[in-house]
Amino acid sequence: MRTRTQRLALALICAGALFPGAATYAPGTAGGASAGKPATHSVVIDGLKYDPETLTVKRGETVIWTNKDPFPHTVTAQGKFDSHDIAAGGSWKYVARTAGEYSYICTLHPNMKGMLRVE
Amino acid sequence: MKNIGIVVATALLLAAGGVAAQAPNDAQIAHIVVTANQVDIDAGKLAEKMGSTKDVRDFGKQMVTDHSGVNKQAVALVTKLKVKPEDNPTSQSLKSGGEANLKNLKTLKGNAFDKAYIDHEVAYHEQVLDAVDKTLLPSAKNEELKALITKVRPAFVAHLEHAKMLQSKM
Ligand SMILES: [Cu+2]
Repeated sequence: MRTRTQRLALALICAGALFPGAATYAPGTAGGASAGKPATHSVVIDGLKYDPETLTVKRGETVIWTNKDPFPHTVTAQGKFDSHDIAAGGSWKYVARTAGEYSYICTLHPNMKGMLRVE
Repeated sequence: MKNIGIVVATALLLAAGGVAAQAPNDAQIAHIVVTANQVDIDAGKLAEKMGSTKDVRDFGKQMVTDHSGVNKQAVALVTKLKVKPEDNPTSQSLKSGGEANLKNLKTLKGNAFDKAYIDHEVAYHEQVLDAVDKTLLPSAKNEELKALITKVRPAFVAHLEHAKMLQSKM
């Protein structure tokens, strides 16, 4: 369910895509949120799982992974982004700038798999 | 190397056998968890120094980090639950098996060390997982103790797969 404002924002973005020139009318909507400030999403790492396992965000939004396990993990999409070791209790912040589908793993425990979708 | 596998197997068979004879109580399970982690920490510390390849040294280092983290949490839990870990035959066998492994590893160098260490890690994690599934989880009464073991179980699976991957490259 979308609110009126969100629909309006979406419409503006779509318009921007169709008529690139139109985007200059509403620079604030480029990040996807009508409030102007891009949203922040969180992924919790607990019991060797990324939760949520798949996350979809808009370009410009921020994702924070927090490690609740008692040992380090990584968030690694080969050649795309790499948190390196996130200590127990630590977190890592990533600003999603490029659209795409990024499957990632923990290099320390490669049976841990997650997916970040950037629209 | 074969006899080390047997020592590990014997230690954990004792754990498995304990189900039929006498299931370990929570105080004993806590002791087994801490001992099993400590044994792998000690071997990891040696591998950090003695491993002849970076892969083996890194693996040893990760075993120290991961199993120390688990033990920190296990100790915090038993402190909170006011449970005093209780020594038992399974812990004792794990401990003596770990000592035999270290003694053997200390006589080895280079590839021979790497291979003996990794072979043992594969066998050890397999047996620990077996004990977790067949003895520790079914016997644990306290829900938080059970939850902790359940939560860290995938780490042992990851370690086993990692060790097997290193083993296949040797
Ligand atoms: Cu990990």
